[in-house]
Amino acid sequence: MKTSVSRILAPLTAFAVAATLAACGDSSESSSTGSVTVWMYPVIADEQANTAYWAQVEKDFEAANSGTDLKVEQQPWANRDQKLAAAFSGGKGPDVLLLGPDQIPQYVKNGSLAPVDKVVEPVKSSFLPGALTALTTDGKLYAAPIYHTITTTLYNKKLLDKAGITTPPQTWDEIKAAAPKLKAAGVATLDYSASPEATLNLNFYPLLWQAGGSVFSADGKKAAFNEPAGVEALTFLTSLYSEGAIPKSGLTNGNVIADQALGKQQVAMGFTNTPADAKTVTTTWGAGNVVVGMPLEGKKRVGFGLPGGLAVNAASKNIEAAEKFLTFMIEPKQVVALGTASGFLSPRTDAKVPAKDAQAEKFADALQYAFPGEPNPAARQVMSLLAAEIQAALTGKKTPQQALDDGAKAADDLLSRQR
Amino acid sequence: MTTTLDPPGGTGGVRPAGRLSGRRAGRLSGRSRAGLLFVAPMLVLFIVFRFVPVAGAVLLSLTDYRLSGQWSFIAVENYTRLLSDKMFHESLAVTLTYTVIFVPLTVLLSLGTALLLHQVVWRRGFFRGVFFLPYVTSIVLAAVIWKWIYDAESGLLNGILGVLSLGPVDFLGRAELVLPSIAVTSAWKGFGYSMLILLAGLQSIPRSYLEAAMIDGADSWQRFRYVTLPQLRPVLFFVLVIETIQAFQVFDAMYVMTGGGPVRSSYSLVYMLYDSGFKYFDFGYASAIGLVLFAIVLVVSLVQRRLVGRDD
Repeated sequence: MKTSVSRILAPLTAFAVAATLAACGDSSESSSTGSVTVWMYPVIADEQANTAYWAQVEKDFEAANSGTDLKVEQQPWANRDQKLAAAFSGGKGPDVLLLGPDQIPQYVKNGSLAPVDKVVEPVKSSFLPGALTALTTDGKLYAAPIYHTITTTLYNKKLLDKAGITTPPQTWDEIKAAAPKLKAAGVATLDYSASPEATLNLNFYPLLWQAGGSVFSADGKKAAFNEPAGVEALTFLTSLYSEGAIPKSGLTNGNVIADQALGKQQVAMGFTNTPADAKTVTTTWGAGNVVVGMPLEGKKRVGFGLPGGLAVNAASKNIEAAEKFLTFMIEPKQVVALGTASGFLSPRTDAKVPAKDAQAEKFADALQYAFPGEPNPAARQVMSLLAAEIQAALTGKKTPQQALDDGAKAADDLLSRQR
Repeated sequence: MTTTLDPPGGTGGVRPAGRLSGRRAGRLSGRSRAGLLFVAPMLVLFIVFRFVPVAGAVLLSLTDYRLSGQWSFIAVENYTRLLSDKMFHESLAVTLTYTVIFVPLTVLLSLGTALLLHQVVWRRGFFRGVFFLPYVTSIVLAAVIWKWIYDAESGLLNGILGVLSLGPVDFLGRAELVLPSIAVTSAWKGFGYSMLILLAGLQSIPRSYLEAAMIDGADSWQRFRYVTLPQLRPVLFFVLVIETIQAFQVFDAMYVMTGGGPVRSSYSLVYMLYDSGFKYFDFGYASAIGLVLFAIVLVVSLVQRRLVGRDD
């Protein structure tokens, strides 16, 4: 019975240990130690290259800022919010951390981040305006952009050729027209990830924005995805799904190209693919079969792309040194070096990352259509609510309008409860 | 229940302390003190790492706890919110349905395999190892493999169904199939543990009981029904409780295989707890979910004890 009791208590314990022990963390006053810890993620896909790059950054920064000890700690992308949550709740965590726009509002709401306006202010005009807007919450900038991403369409030329399609479909109408031809050739048309664990920024939201819609109302207090643009976007999806133009495995797929139908050459195109995706399929499809296009066009052409920014922990013991590091990292030289190593684009207008090849050039061209999403403290919860409704529409349990209305009702209820 | 061992040369059995005089029962013998000392480190660890966090969870569930460490006391608000939360009702229904599928499946699979292995003499150790192997495999790995097996387009199962001119069946994409499919995966992964316990139980049944039944003319089913099964009841009760708790805690397989879908058809209580705590940082609410789950599992275990594990 003792084993039984311990098993009953196990999940409770796991959660409570994480939450309560973290809460016992040190919250003493900060003191200048000259040491800055950075939590960095694999922004350079090759692990060895990533480690070497950040080791060099440590050396260069310390050489330029004597007396400051910089430690760049590598973290995995997976479960990063969980780790940050545990660290912040204990008043701990790194001095500097890499964040995306959708993460910032919730940490600002919890008082975990310090504004970084004064770091960027002197060079503000050199940044893409969208990059700064995306990292701003309540009128304050909370992260200094060091790179910019973009997602766009990726086509498998071999499969398009098989269906006799010579020009890759670039608009919703062209996709609808291509679907029957591809089906006749035994191939699905559009890859889609409808797993509730897949971020909607890489599946439904770009379609919503392309239809001219938005996730939230202008004040962020209501859901707006159930307006006509949202219904149009979801109807586009459900009609493709019911025709077999979107593979059935889309229901459980996350956003990992190698595991998806696109990576396995079962579907002709993806619409939210990254330069890393293009590299991955180049090795499996062959370079000649990989075609990178512009973001899809519905009523307008939009591709999801966001800046990655360095934020400062409000509980840092050395905010000054942390800000020095941010200043160092947003210098044109560093931005270009990081872009060259990672394949990401530059958030600065005065420092372009040289394109290595034709694929990289296409991604750079697509940057003009980048939209960084709609930051909201409840963005992640709303995604979870909406993802289930999208599945309901795809599987025919609800009409697109019903599904979006139900999602909006739940989202409005959630937003009204935000304290 | 405090017990005391017979002195050397005694019957060798265990005698309840209640049969001793009050004075003797109240005093700890040297051996008991030594025993307590040996148990103490584990007891301290158990209190510090099990009971203290649980007490912490109880307190957390009565607060609105923020990521920054700020909190406010909100009494039972998290619990009243739970009662009216549609998602909680849905995830509770998912968890109960999964339990109803998983527990009989695993217990029957474990019992069947244990009975087979009990009969096998040739290379029993090898077969025992083979059946136990999935248990030591990572659930994430098992879930990834089974996700491929179930894949609607290129999965192994649909490949076989295709040869038979059947299907394809979207095992993980259909609400009515997703829980049985995940239950099969979890049962495959976990039955080895219960199988070993049941096998040990089978091996401890004196052969003389079965031989006596044979002499009385009992056939194999009657021997199983009237000798093996009653003798196995304490072990079966343990297995039942363990597997039920396992079922109520299901999360990993659902997370990897379906992400809780389709349309939250595989969104369990622990999944909801995880999302509330670590995705939405609603620690108070997550603690309340954890405690409700704890209460449900406790009640179910007590009912099982009453029905299956009577002390006779």
